[in-house]
Amino acid sequence: MKKTSIRNTMLFSFSGITLVSVVIFLLIALNYTERTVMDNAIENTTRLVNQVSYDVDSYISYMSNITTMISENEDVSNYLFAEDLSASERSAAKEKVILQFESVLKSRPDIYNLAIVENNDNYLINDGEGKLNPYVDVTAQSWFADAMKAREGNCLSSSHVQNSIMYSYKWVITMSSSLRDRRTNEKKGVFFIDLNYSSISDLCNNNKIGNKGYMFVMSEDGKIVYHPKQQLIYGGLFEEDVDKILSSKESYFTVDEGDNQKLYTICKSEETGWIVVGTAYTSELLKNSKNTQMIYIIIAACMILLVLIISSMIAETITYPIEVLKNSMQKVEQGQFDQANVVVKTRNEIGSLSNSFNIMTQQIQNLMEENVYEQKQKRKSELRALQSQINPHFLYNTLDSIIWMAESGKNDEVVEMTAALAKLLRQSISNEDEEVLLSQEIQLVQNYLTIQKMRYKDKLEYEITVDAEVANATIIKLLLQPLVENAIYHGLKYKESKGMLWLKAYRAGSYLCIEIQDDGVGMDEDTLKHIFEKHKVNYRSNGVGVYNVRQRLELYYGKECSMTYESKLNQGTKIMIRIPLRGGEEHD
Amino acid sequence: MIRNKRYYTVILLLFFAFLLTLYGWFNKSSQTEKKYEMVYIPKIIDEDNDFWTSLIEGAEMASTEYGVNLKIVAGESEEDVEGQNQLISQTIEEKPDALLISPCSYTESNELLKEAKEAGIQVILVDSRVSESLEDAIVATDNYAAGETLGEYASGLIDGDDQIAVVGHVEGSSTAIERLQGVQKGLGEKQNNIVSTVYCNSEFGKAYALGLELMNQYPDLKLMIGLNEYSAVGVARAIRDKGKIGEIKMAGFDSSVEEIQLMESGVFQGIVIQKPFNMGYLGVKQAVSSLKGEHIEHVLNSGSELITMDNIYTEENQKLLFPFVGKSQ
Repeated sequence: MKKTSIRNTMLFSFSGITLVSVVIFLLIALNYTERTVMDNAIENTTRLVNQVSYDVDSYISYMSNITTMISENEDVSNYLFAEDLSASERSAAKEKVILQFESVLKSRPDIYNLAIVENNDNYLINDGEGKLNPYVDVTAQSWFADAMKAREGNCLSSSHVQNSIMYSYKWVITMSSSLRDRRTNEKKGVFFIDLNYSSISDLCNNNKIGNKGYMFVMSEDGKIVYHPKQQLIYGGLFEEDVDKILSSKESYFTVDEGDNQKLYTICKSEETGWIVVGTAYTSELLKNSKNTQMIYIIIAACMILLVLIISSMIAETITYPIEVLKNSMQKVEQGQFDQANVVVKTRNEIGSLSNSFNIMTQQIQNLMEENVYEQKQKRKSELRALQSQINPHFLYNTLDSIIWMAESGKNDEVVEMTAALAKLLRQSISNEDEEVLLSQEIQLVQNYLTIQKMRYKDKLEYEITVDAEVANATIIKLLLQPLVENAIYHGLKYKESKGMLWLKAYRAGSYLCIEIQDDGVGMDEDTLKHIFEKHKVNYRSNGVGVYNVRQRLELYYGKECSMTYESKLNQGTKIMIRIPLRGGEEHD
Repeated sequence: MIRNKRYYTVILLLFFAFLLTLYGWFNKSSQTEKKYEMVYIPKIIDEDNDFWTSLIEGAEMASTEYGVNLKIVAGESEEDVEGQNQLISQTIEEKPDALLISPCSYTESNELLKEAKEAGIQVILVDSRVSESLEDAIVATDNYAAGETLGEYASGLIDGDDQIAVVGHVEGSSTAIERLQGVQKGLGEKQNNIVSTVYCNSEFGKAYALGLELMNQYPDLKLMIGLNEYSAVGVARAIRDKGKIGEIKMAGFDSSVEEIQLMESGVFQGIVIQKPFNMGYLGVKQAVSSLKGEHIEHVLNSGSELITMDNIYTEENQKLLFPFVGKSQ
């Protein structure tokens, strides 16, 4: 499991909060941008569509004025319907009409044809030279029929090919109006203007909505007047949602078309009844908003980066002292008090915490030092107490021997024994140190054995072998003497023949080994088992010999030392002591 | 503070990763708006020819709609196979995404078109096909179906034993072959009445001469069929000038103002017109779909329409017959 640090927690929560808020802000901003752009686009297209619609209207109403003016002209009626007119009067009327037609045609190049028609035989077109298409029944044309049917006013056709005029198949929009015979007030003919269809289509074409957007014009009944994709529509490859446009009450709406969304903007003309529709693809409209959105996203990214850096810096300044404190505590854990002091740089809560910690470690350290000192003292006194247990019995016995020898007049022996005793006592008492050199300890044992040998006469023989390399090793004082004493009192003393005692010291690796062996009576297994127990040792000698030695070994050397017994009944005993080899060094 | 530095590095890396992702995202969204490069080689670019002009207009409309950079080049005439082949070679050098072509020859451009395909260019045939099926898609009038429609209509114009003559445009061209087969099928039993099939090489003059010749050769001729505009109009003129209007029925393919006039004056009884605008539009659309890896129909029929005096001025047919606003005879 990953360790979570305050630093990371702070960093992640700061970053998380910022990230979430920035993202929310971003989404709102993006959405808002999109909406604003969309609103603007709608507003623009609406304005455009209204403008086009207005242009179409004013264009048509101008034409309407011309139509009204001509259709109410007396000369027109005279020329077409007055059968009783003389030829000269008729041609005069014709001249007048042609004059009027020509002036209109000259001023408006977008008008293709002006004509008054009663039927295929009685008509007047433009300059009077034009002819009707002989293969087409003009009265059957819808613009003719509509005008005749209309009660009043002018009729406006949708876009169509004008096939009524000979040799001319032009795309036009026809405005027609019925003509009345002035005398009978009867509808007898039709006046029509063919407007160049491009004048309408150009109006739409010149106002592009984006690259793909376009405008188209529909008549009231949903027929297409102009559409840039007219061919596709007739070919069934393309569709406009005509019903929705006709039924829509809003001035704009959107329609989903595959992946695309189309925006329809509608303007219906009161004048003509035509509907101008602007079509835009929202994907295209929103393309511009993408740049803005990109800028927003970059700003947001920078903000997040900034927050990450700042929050990591804040987290760093807060957690660094904690980190230092933590490391210091770990050192205390490992017992390195002297390196545990924290340098306090800040004056905040963590600063005072560090201060308190410093004081605390100081106190713990003091307490520990005190404790160590006390322990040491305690051990020293214990050791001393154990050491002091050695002496008395031997002393009495030796003194008894000396008395006995003195009584027997053995002066030489008395001198020798007393001298040895004096050396022994001096060595054991005078030296304040706990440790002595092995050679010194051997010396002591030798003095002791000298005394004992004198006391037991020929019953005791001994041999001491000390390797030269361990002669200067240190060893706790009075370690060997009690063991030798034990060997004599419990092993050799009860042997009937002469007893032998060996003492060997040698090095084994980093250890000093000392063996004390005798060929005395030995011990049975039961005795051997309980040899280290204090209460079982209950002999005439100082009673606590083995236990004492063992205690002192453990107190002094800890677990590094070992002390083992090997013994066989009636064959002898061997004691082996192993302690760390310490040559001349002072132990703490 | 080494640890500190490591944190900043991690943060910076994250930030750059974020920017890269953004970049990738925007790149991707702009990739969808990638402009395809396409070249269209029609048989001819001729402003007086409504068919090709309309087809080109349709292709241009689609190219605007789908955001395609469309380049249009053509040889000098419909028979200029060499010129067209040269343009194909040139196009292979340019390496556009797609090559749309209306091959002049049924066989002569095969090798070059294969080469184009090998160069990784999508080959879309428009209007005409070639002898081998090497293209990615075809958009064309189903000439066989169109011929059949005309044949059926024409068979209703004559009695059982009346003689029929067919004037084709270019012998061996795919459209001529298919239309003729369609006409024969449409005529049914009456196909046996075809007394002569001749070709005018898409020349008005030659068609006119052939028309006159046929009328002289077969005085009992009752029906003549022209397989394209040139042959139909040429023959119709001959009928008109011979004063045999109504006496010899006339049916043909394609439209022009002259054909309309000839129809209004009763020379033509029926014509089958193609939908060149749709053809051009669909050609580009197919190319785009194919490039996007969408499934497309290998052969797409752009449709045809039988025009008679009864339906000549319907809203739909007007736009087919007179595709151009403001243009007059």
